[in-house]
Amino acid sequence: MAERIKKVVVVGGGTAGWMTAAALSRYLPAGQTEIVLIESEEIGTIGVGEATIPQIATFNKMLGIDENEFVSCTSGTFKLGIEFRDWGRFGERYLHPFGDYGFDLDGTEFHHFWARQQAMGETHSLDAYSLNASAAYSGKFMRPDGDPRSVLSRLGYAFHFDATLYARYLRKFAEARGVKRVEGKVVDVQQSTETGFIERVKLQDGRAFDGQLFIDCTGFLGVLIEQTLQAGYQDWRQWLPMDRAVAIPCESVEPPRPYTIATAREAGWTWRIPLQHRVGNGHVYCSDYIDANAAEERLLGALDGAPLAEPRHLRFVTGRRESLWVKNCVAIGLSAGFLEPLESTSIHMIQSGIAKLLALFPDTSFNRVERDEYNRLLSVSFRHIRDFIILHYVATERDDTPFWRRMRNLDLPDTLAHKMALMEAGGRFFRYDDELFSVTSWLAVMQGQGRGPTAYNPIADGLSPSNLTQSLANMRTLIAKTSAAMPRHEDFIDRYCKAAPVTQLESVR
Amino acid sequence: MNPNTITEIVIVGGGTAGWMSAAALAHLLDARRISITVVESEVIGTVGVGEATIPPIILFNEMLGINENEFVARTMATFKLGIEFVNWGGLGEAYIHPFGDFGTDLETLPLHQHWLRAKPAGYGRDLFDFSLMVQAAKRGKFMPAVKNNPKSVLAGIHYAYQFDAGRYAAFLREYAEARGVKRIEGRVTDVALNGRTGQVDTLHLEDGRSVPGEFFVDCSGFKGLLIDGALGAGYEDWRSYLPVDRAIALPCESNGPPIPYTRATAHEAGWQWRIPLQHRTGNGHVYCSEFTSDDAALDRLQSTLDGAALADPKQLYFTTGHRREFWKKNVVSLGLAAGFMEPLESTSIHLVQTGLARLIALFPDKRFNPVDIETYNTRTLNEYERIRDFLVLHYTATQRDDTEFWRHCQSLPQPDSLQQKIEHFSTSGRIFREANELFTESSWLAVMYGQNISPQGWSPLVERFDQAHMIERLEQVANVVSRAADAMPSHTDYINRNCAGQVPQLSESEA
Repeated sequence: MAERIKKVVVVGGGTAGWMTAAALSRYLPAGQTEIVLIESEEIGTIGVGEATIPQIATFNKMLGIDENEFVSCTSGTFKLGIEFRDWGRFGERYLHPFGDYGFDLDGTEFHHFWARQQAMGETHSLDAYSLNASAAYSGKFMRPDGDPRSVLSRLGYAFHFDATLYARYLRKFAEARGVKRVEGKVVDVQQSTETGFIERVKLQDGRAFDGQLFIDCTGFLGVLIEQTLQAGYQDWRQWLPMDRAVAIPCESVEPPRPYTIATAREAGWTWRIPLQHRVGNGHVYCSDYIDANAAEERLLGALDGAPLAEPRHLRFVTGRRESLWVKNCVAIGLSAGFLEPLESTSIHMIQSGIAKLLALFPDTSFNRVERDEYNRLLSVSFRHIRDFIILHYVATERDDTPFWRRMRNLDLPDTLAHKMALMEAGGRFFRYDDELFSVTSWLAVMQGQGRGPTAYNPIADGLSPSNLTQSLANMRTLIAKTSAAMPRHEDFIDRYCKAAPVTQLESVR
Repeated sequence: MNPNTITEIVIVGGGTAGWMSAAALAHLLDARRISITVVESEVIGTVGVGEATIPPIILFNEMLGINENEFVARTMATFKLGIEFVNWGGLGEAYIHPFGDFGTDLETLPLHQHWLRAKPAGYGRDLFDFSLMVQAAKRGKFMPAVKNNPKSVLAGIHYAYQFDAGRYAAFLREYAEARGVKRIEGRVTDVALNGRTGQVDTLHLEDGRSVPGEFFVDCSGFKGLLIDGALGAGYEDWRSYLPVDRAIALPCESNGPPIPYTRATAHEAGWQWRIPLQHRTGNGHVYCSEFTSDDAALDRLQSTLDGAALADPKQLYFTTGHRREFWKKNVVSLGLAAGFMEPLESTSIHLVQTGLARLIALFPDKRFNPVDIETYNTRTLNEYERIRDFLVLHYTATQRDDTEFWRHCQSLPQPDSLQQKIEHFSTSGRIFREANELFTESSWLAVMYGQNISPQGWSPLVERFDQAHMIERLEQVANVVSRAADAMPSHTDYINRNCAGQVPQLSESEA
């Protein structure tokens, strides 16, 4: 048996770095593997991914984190979905909810029955069958019931939180489990002349750190994976031309809503993420059509509270690293790839990188089979998410700006064209290779943006019209009653996971 | 009604596949508005080798609302906890590939990872001591999973059935006919295509009758009367991966109470199945005609029967592989018309079932959307390929080189996907299951370990736990499993109390 890895070096703090360090410290044999994380306060972090998707619960569980403590320490709120405004057409909105619509009948998916009833003249929207939508729009939240027979078990949720506080929270977790944090800036990376493997990183102050496995969490730069190992980058701007963002927090003017809002703009979109102590805002745009000043102005004009900081401008290239694991270096976070946060997938990609790394954790022989499998799995995940994000831009009737005219006429990836054709023609959906987004997500976006199914599965005709009407009415009643009985989102937070006052949170810095 | 709605469905062939299709469609479609017709001929007879099943069949029966005890009694079925493979890894060796998992994950890591680490430290327990299904099978025990206590080890019981396929078809026929399915007795002699669309229009029968349809399900067996005969869907030959091409089936008297598992014994040029039913034992010898003659194969089979033969031997010829297009135009093929893989892991009936599930999810209207058809075909092919890999594993993970056939198997090409799985496992005992793949990590583990692929290491993640403590935990699991198996009722008692069939007075020709 080849020798075990005794030293892991994580380069870069931030969300990716600390999530990785926390998970490794939890799972690697304590006395056997040393974990060092090198970060520089000078460099600062991007702090993307203030909004998450339900899968983060798996990560928290992996670490054994108490959820209320986590929400409280990160000034978090709960998230039941994303409201999309002005995407399909100007003036329209819809919710992409977590948690499924309605109930399947006799093994056939709910939405076919819904579509049949629409064809019979019924007008209740999909929202009427979503507990998440119903709760979101009435500002309600509570944790789902564990009993699968209860309709409450179908509630899906995630979090909004302060990414900086999250990194700090995980740092505390990791340091308590023996992770050594080194403050410093990597200026040189030394490779073995024979194998090209990374042997050590040198810091500005002259110190050097040896390692057997290196995790590159250096963000867009990819100091190890790209600048040293030249993994290559697949540029996806042909499909997703957004290349800049500007972010700014503002004061809250209302109790936090349990959902994110993503509003389409003339050359991109803006996000609005409510936290306990403030609201996060940002504008993602394509610089071919709008410059940084105009984008900033547009964002400031859309704030619903007073700004709390100077705007921060970011540049990026959408795409992914050709190989995410090269030799003895694994890229996690923005160094692995970048997809705009339209569906809050950044933290999820970090998490799935970590989970796959743990499942394939190497020894010093660095078996090719494990590296190949990692690269295959992660690149497939990136591609699935990419397709789902592109969907938002192409399932639209907007043609009011040059940007939207360009997006409408995009040459689609085959994988996406196939999915859209299946859904549009008959409401069909198949999930490939453990892909992240389910039929609920695809249906929500396509229906919400005016490209819903034009026909339903003929199997849905098997139910008699009166049975159909009755079943659907029962579902609506059940959902409306359940959400009415749920507590208000802000009351739930106050009771279980209220954050310390902002000043106290800040003072931990 | 929508003018595109299909109102005439014709199923060609009435074996297991045909009646499973008829029953499922009759249950889901409104038979008052949509006619479903099965055309079958008693002259042709059915192959019906797939007498053993795998656990998802329980879902199929549940979907139809079938009562388990009634179904078991009517089909003279027994319960199946796994398959015992004899002489596969090496002559004289045996292991059981059980349904369900090996114990339970410990500290979020698969149990076998902890066990792999404990072994070189002198821990002597066998991996199969952690499988409740193996332990129950060895003791001749059976009961279904307990439903009211998900934490109990007895909630993890997984099982399937071994049944008389002829009786199963008859049982489903009754179900389907009660729900409005029409049955036409007759032999199809001509298939008329629509000149404009090239779709199948009408079947002409030997007696001059014609049966028109809008949508056809081809369950006509190997020959694929519609899918290949009429539409020329083509066939992908997989004999380069799986060279066996013939089988002889021969039922015999039971030599005692039925055991709750199937046995598959490797022979000189193939293997033999043994499937215990309530009233008899099904046997068959699957072999490769390049390496043994039909006569020798029959001799081998007859010499190993553990009871008196109950019928004349039935000879079968097949080509392992699949239809290039499972669904073409207005014809979907199911069962042997769609493809054939030897019944080594009892997947034949399962493939009918998943084909049906996919067909139901993609149920067409008269426009026959090409995207739906393409999706059906891609996903079906993927399923065939994954099962193929798992079957190939049985022939290539072996030390046997005692006959020409086994030496030939050692030189068989391995699909890349399979090679990767084996390499993963042999380095660190890790198993990766592809999404939607039928066989679980536990199945791969059972066969790879059962056929002597020994991992050189284990996941580094298990090393964070104290070795002695983990061995204690493993022991606890093994003890719980062993006590649970002891406490289960015997298979025979369970059947006698709940679902004993009538000892048949009918001749075998009924099946």
